[in-house]
Amino acid sequence: MKHLLTGALVASALTTGAQAQEITLGRFFGACEDAGTDTETSVGEACIIQSIINAADAEIEGVSVETLPTDWGNYYDQIKAAYAGGTPPDIHVMHRHRVPEFAGIGALADLTDDLEAAGIDPADWTESARAAVTHDGAIYGVPMDLHANLWHVNMALMEQAGLVQDGKPVLPSSPEELLEHAKMLKEATGQDYLAADFAQFPIGVRLVLALLWQQGSNIFTEDGTATIETAEAQAAVEAITQLFAEDLANPQLNYADSQQAFLNGEAAVLVNGTWVVDFYTAEAAKEETGLDDYYVADFPSLFGEGATWADSHIWVIPSPLEANDAEKYQAALKVLAFINDHNIDWARTGHMAVRNSVLESETYQSLPHRAEYAGTVEIARDTPPSESYGAIQDILNRELQAIWLTDKPVEDALADAEIEVQDQLDR
Amino acid sequence: MASKRSPLSRLSQAQSAALLLLPFLATYALFLVYPFFRGVWISLHDWNLLEVAFNPDAKEFVGARNYVRVMWGRGIEWSAWARPGLQLFALAGLVLAAILHATRRIGRGPAIGLAAAALLLFVVAGIHAGEEGRWYDRRFWPTVGNTILFVALTVPGVTISALVLAAAMNRETRAMSVLRTLFFLSQVLSVTVVTLIWQIMFSPRQGLVANITELTGGSPVNWLTDERFAMAAIVIPTIWWSLGIAMILFLAGLQDISRDLYEAGALDHATGAKAFWYITLPNLKRTITVVIVLQIILHFQVFGQSHLMTQGGPNDETQVLVRYIYQTAFRDSELGRASAMAVFLFLIIGAFSVVQFLVGREKD
Repeated sequence: MKHLLTGALVASALTTGAQAQEITLGRFFGACEDAGTDTETSVGEACIIQSIINAADAEIEGVSVETLPTDWGNYYDQIKAAYAGGTPPDIHVMHRHRVPEFAGIGALADLTDDLEAAGIDPADWTESARAAVTHDGAIYGVPMDLHANLWHVNMALMEQAGLVQDGKPVLPSSPEELLEHAKMLKEATGQDYLAADFAQFPIGVRLVLALLWQQGSNIFTEDGTATIETAEAQAAVEAITQLFAEDLANPQLNYADSQQAFLNGEAAVLVNGTWVVDFYTAEAAKEETGLDDYYVADFPSLFGEGATWADSHIWVIPSPLEANDAEKYQAALKVLAFINDHNIDWARTGHMAVRNSVLESETYQSLPHRAEYAGTVEIARDTPPSESYGAIQDILNRELQAIWLTDKPVEDALADAEIEVQDQLDR
Repeated sequence: MASKRSPLSRLSQAQSAALLLLPFLATYALFLVYPFFRGVWISLHDWNLLEVAFNPDAKEFVGARNYVRVMWGRGIEWSAWARPGLQLFALAGLVLAAILHATRRIGRGPAIGLAAAALLLFVVAGIHAGEEGRWYDRRFWPTVGNTILFVALTVPGVTISALVLAAAMNRETRAMSVLRTLFFLSQVLSVTVVTLIWQIMFSPRQGLVANITELTGGSPVNWLTDERFAMAAIVIPTIWWSLGIAMILFLAGLQDISRDLYEAGALDHATGAKAFWYITLPNLKRTITVVIVLQIILHFQVFGQSHLMTQGGPNDETQVLVRYIYQTAFRDSELGRASAMAVFLFLIIGAFSVVQFLVGREKD
């Protein structure tokens, strides 16, 4: 009896001694209820990331991970409010474009000297991935991917319009050719040439930005001068509006509707990101969808240079955690290392991996459609860094919507956008 | 017996009232009065949400600058014909107030109120940015305009439909009580559920509305992204959603009207629509006013419908004040500016609360 009691006491002392560090984690990507812990079979962004998190929770000794409920659309508002209230999650995901805003005021932990000890090798990251997490010479996060806009193509429709050569889609190389292809496709199939979310989510903005960069132009300069009322911007916008004017694309579709149009076989091309490649691959394999022969192409260059909008998802730790709780900070680093180790699993979504060792691996290169958009890494671009990135995207989205949804004259919209973006840059 | 009185009963009535009110007043002061003055205080600062969280000294007192930056501009002018439509409408209101008062259709108080509102509209509508001028914040006033439009569409919509429903269901049958419950049911849903339901209803691909339009031979409308329909697309769910409370208030009002009045009316051949017009409506005047004012106060604070259904779009057509405040505070981290807008909203709502208070006090 006595032994039993001592045994129980020792056991309980041991469990308390080795009490798990609980790490709270904030992320977008949507919810996945039954992700399980198998990181190699999950499908889609939400389930792949959740399976990696569940595996981290199960496999890292002495660390448990709790995913906080967050909403995608209001993610940054929620994260900022949490920081302002002094209760940010112990680790959270964010975009490269937000680094200046958060790191600029010291909200993020400087990980530069702690990565190696945690088992993360920054030298294995691609140059662009390292740049994504670097601010003023210090590393503030662990990059997870490079994601970009692609042209998702319905090859059956392209074939009917005679726009396939050697098993590849023939894509336009100028705005004139874009219009010509779109007309050919309409004539041959009765369907729209191009679909994208021009109505809500800023896919339309990213499309126009790409066409702007392709002409060597941009919406503002590094030193903070808005440059939107330009001939280049006009040309970029009109390359798109010519399709709306001739009824070869529908500007009123939002994200879900444009995706549905593509999957129903009602549009030959969908402009959307890398994050849906595995999902569309799975949909194309189904009998009932109108998309049977799916191809993924690099965003074509309509003006000289190649360029497509791109960003990175990165993982960060709030600076107060590093300052106030060394043990928890180490536990958080272990979770980041775990995510870094599973870069290949995340790449299954369609995103581009950030570790050279993964990029060179056989497994990565044999992922579905991967070879078709290998060129995207070379043309990935974004606007200059700015603390007002979110507000600026919003202005562009509003004014571009005004052009295609409310027939605002292009010159007026560009002039208004320039004034408002300048206001943001001056604030 | 007298010596064993509890300590409470030794207090005067006023003292015990104060004691009983204390918990409420303390909570009220802590969670409403203090935050309000704190908000006004923040509105006088250049206050970045994130920066101040990490460094409390990062705020800067700027006086009224946030108010100026939000509501004013440079080269702002006034003219009597800046917006002829609105200003003529305001003048018409002024004339109407005079006529109604002269013919003794309305009392002095309401006449002055109507005239003041009309004059205010006439003056405000005349303010505009001159040739070389511009508003510092070009979105603020259009956003206020959208909010007013939303209120102007929603409030009559709710009031009229709730009144009609209440009048139709003011009967003691089982079917009516089931119907009353059904119509009230939407009220218990949260805004997220309501907007989700209606987003599906309005979907041009699988929505009920689109299916009906197609059945009747029309082509489906992109309700949420078409500039002509987006405002309607957030007004309709709002009416459907907030019908319940108004209907219950009207039912309570209807049950207060004495049966004798209808019987007396019936003798003079006032039945049906006539009875509704000459007996029901005049007796419901107070309830109607209360419902209208409450709805105005409620719907000025619209947020979820615009945020979740249209994201303020297309082209800001459905951007409303609370959403703009939210974006300014949390997306742009400009807490001072956002607080200035919130104070403005408080003033609008406060004005209507005063109206409600006055109406409630008015003796028949």
